[in-house]
Amino acid sequence: MSAPLLWIFIPAALALPALLISNGRILSIVGGSLALLLSLVALIVPIDQALQIGNFSLKIAPEIEILGRRLILTPADGSLLAIFYGLVAMWFYGAEVTRTAHRLVPLGLIIIALLVASIAVEPFLYAAILIEIAVLLAVPLLLPVNQAPGPGVMRFLIYQTMGMPFILFAGWLLTGVESSPSDLALAVQSATILGLGFAFLLAMFPLYVWLPMLAEEVSPYALGFLFWVLPTITIIFGMGFLDRYSWLRTSAGLSQVLSVGGLVMVVTGGLWSAFQRHLSRQMAYAVIAETGFSLLAFSLSPEKAVDAVFLLIIPRSLALLVWAMSLTQMKELAEPLRFSAVQGLARKHPVTTAGLILAHFSIAGFPLLAGFPVRLALWEGLASQSLGVAFWFLIGILGLLTGATRTLAVLVMAPQGTGWELQERWRPGILIGIGVLGLFLLGIFPQIFRPIMANLPGMFEHLGK
Amino acid sequence: MLIILTVLLLLLVALALIVLYWVRPGIRYSWMLAASGALVSWFSVLFWQLNLPLTFQLPPWEPASLFFESLSFTADRLTWPLALSISTLTLAVILTATARKNFPDPLPWAATLVLGGLGLLAVLADNPLTLLMAWSAIDLTELVTQLRSADGPQPSEKVVTAFATRLAGVGMLLWASMVSISAGTPMNFQDAPPQAGLYLLLAAGLRLGVLPLHLPYASEAAIRRGFGSALRLISAASSLILLARIPTASVISIFTPFLLLLAALAAIYGGWMWLRAPDELTARPFWLIGLASLAMASALRGNPVGAVAWSCALVLSGGALFLSSAHNVWLSRALWIGMWGITALPFSISATGWGSTMPSFWPVWPFLLLAQALLLAGYLRHAIRPTLRDNFETLDRAAQYVYPLGIGVLLGIMLLLGFGGWEGASRLGVWLLALLGVMLGGIASWLAPRLRILTPLRAHWVRPTASSWMDWLFRGLWGLYRLIGLLSNSFSKMLEGDGGFMWTLLFMVLFISLIIQGSPGP
Repeated sequence: MSAPLLWIFIPAALALPALLISNGRILSIVGGSLALLLSLVALIVPIDQALQIGNFSLKIAPEIEILGRRLILTPADGSLLAIFYGLVAMWFYGAEVTRTAHRLVPLGLIIIALLVASIAVEPFLYAAILIEIAVLLAVPLLLPVNQAPGPGVMRFLIYQTMGMPFILFAGWLLTGVESSPSDLALAVQSATILGLGFAFLLAMFPLYVWLPMLAEEVSPYALGFLFWVLPTITIIFGMGFLDRYSWLRTSAGLSQVLSVGGLVMVVTGGLWSAFQRHLSRQMAYAVIAETGFSLLAFSLSPEKAVDAVFLLIIPRSLALLVWAMSLTQMKELAEPLRFSAVQGLARKHPVTTAGLILAHFSIAGFPLLAGFPVRLALWEGLASQSLGVAFWFLIGILGLLTGATRTLAVLVMAPQGTGWELQERWRPGILIGIGVLGLFLLGIFPQIFRPIMANLPGMFEHLGK
Repeated sequence: MLIILTVLLLLLVALALIVLYWVRPGIRYSWMLAASGALVSWFSVLFWQLNLPLTFQLPPWEPASLFFESLSFTADRLTWPLALSISTLTLAVILTATARKNFPDPLPWAATLVLGGLGLLAVLADNPLTLLMAWSAIDLTELVTQLRSADGPQPSEKVVTAFATRLAGVGMLLWASMVSISAGTPMNFQDAPPQAGLYLLLAAGLRLGVLPLHLPYASEAAIRRGFGSALRLISAASSLILLARIPTASVISIFTPFLLLLAALAAIYGGWMWLRAPDELTARPFWLIGLASLAMASALRGNPVGAVAWSCALVLSGGALFLSSAHNVWLSRALWIGMWGITALPFSISATGWGSTMPSFWPVWPFLLLAQALLLAGYLRHAIRPTLRDNFETLDRAAQYVYPLGIGVLLGIMLLLGFGGWEGASRLGVWLLALLGVMLGGIASWLAPRLRILTPLRAHWVRPTASSWMDWLFRGLWGLYRLIGLLSNSFSKMLEGDGGFMWTLLFMVLFISLIIQGSPGP
């Protein structure tokens, strides 16, 4: 048994029979349980070490070779796999109540397998191609077969696809930089091309216009899954680049570029959110700001940066999960999700409203919620570098909070005489409730996942050392 | 550990009340359960005094490389009186609930116990991180309870607006931390740098409605006497504790006299409206503004003990008056003791209120004394004019015993704290100023029924909303918001339109050229 077989090929292979299951609930439970099992195995069974259970000895080999390329999952990747598949399990368990299980579970399994492969592949430049295949598969995930793609989907595809050639080209140039490190012009060219590639993949300013457009067109739950998984893997892919090329990692301008890029995303995402009147688009702007937070985390001092980037993953996923699930529930009540259509819904659907607002607050960094500790750490790190940067960070946060507060005001403004009632479906209500509890738990005790997270910096040889 | 046990007790009893309400709505012993929980926690806080200082720390946040602080709580001789005031108020609310028309109603009792527990956590917070977590918890509790009682779009919107205002206070506290970190000192309450001190004051001021002067509690009249009083007073106390925690050296700034003047003017406004309001419930926001301004003025004069003194008086004297819902001659006379709490005379709880540890801006003194006089005169008037009160004799027998206990425990603790248990006890204070304030208060009381300008306004004339210049300010801000919104929407449409891709590439080229110009290269 090898690690790539277990965490890449098996989930991808099981996606095919999953396509044949027509019962959404069974599909959701089977897919969620499979992901949970893979997560637990990653947590319990170490890669490349013999595990003795009675007379049995179990050892998972770290690599596999295919078509002349190698897929390698090192022992240090185990924690990431555990976290990743654990979070995927949460998304799959929630898929049935959002009526997206038929698309999300099978396609989600293939996408996750491809993205894990993108972390594992050697030569690592092939990751760009694997990410591109995942992007292509995301289209049927976002749209039912009978629905024509809108401009948002088209732009998503175009912008994400444009990232791939830039990264491949940059990879080719980087080999030249490695062989002649004194060639400054080549280094600048390759860094610029690489930056462009990541700007497309991460939907950096101003290449993020497709996010709010897409949010208006497709299912919020499938979109939330994509909004979580694509940037997270792209960021880890980017960290791989930094780890590999020391000249890039030690470049004096890198921190500044990341800091400016991240700030622009946080500020523009926050400000756009503050003036937005469409609930799905607000989620998109929050995701833009969230990617900005990741870039800002990169820009911190090396000993903090890796920890900060990884600390963002779980709160981000949980908040998006709760947000997307709440939005899906709300979409069943009001279409389109404009303020004028959803006004006063809180009185009849308090749990959905609470999920929506608290998830938004969490991403904005409201104290007590999951997003707060890492925002605080980030903000403190930036303040210790420059108060000006910390001020712009505050502006972005204020924008997000304004958006959340406006949404709250609209949702509670019901006509006079409207009493509070629970008119919600109980299963989504329970799942949202559990998610909200999780947001509070992570907000008060952010260290609860520390035992797993502590190993993550080990994925990189140089980064964070 | 005692700290967290006391808080957990309150929270668990509240949870039990809620569960009982849902599972067995008609259960008869819910009041007994609430009163027992409140009483045990009150005794617990009372006996902390024998063992001060008490500390409790939650497991530290990790990784340690990212977090400077962890959640921790301290009860010392400065914070204990405020903790005792809050637990006394919690107990008093439950005891006096027997005299309310809606008795028995366990949900407001549960909410009161939750607020009491969160209020204790806030006043015992040992660092800004803990304080802002406690503030946020109180704000969320308040938001939920207020929304539950708000009816119609406008009241609901006002609740959210009030929540946003308090959130601004939380933001200001966070910003103070950032300023402190940028000055090279991770902020704590022991040594905040001078740059951060004023932001801390603004944070407290914003939450209290003092700086800038505004009334965050616009829907005051709609809130019931018992739970409403707990909500207002505990929320205010949790904000006021910040004033006691600001290191004296941190408030020295060129802006201090200006802030002192603003605080004094806010105090006069609060006192004036408090005196002229038709009844004590309508006047409650002005009581908070008036006393909170005096506390803030103490902090600005480098007197954190004085800030705590005014804060305790706000909770205990105010609590006794606001919880009085049944009229009886003896109880009305007992309320005069409440007035003693804000006299600042020797051995009163506010004896240290006029102290200063640094040269203060002398022109504000007449304003501060006038504010105190107005508050005293108003208290006397509200205590002896039982506009909103029922007849004590109509209460049932048990309530006739329990209800006065609720008022009595507030007044008793207030007297007790004047004599012992904390740093501001058994002090003579600046008795000359206090005497002057009391004399002015006496004159104002004498003049009140004789001068038309001092006679109570009709209820609908006491505007619980902001003044006209504040309206103008909010209209201006709203106009600016709409303008920026229009611009941002136009920009979005341009990028998302047919030519959006070209625009995007153009902006990207501009952005890259800007970054490349600013970066030193590899």
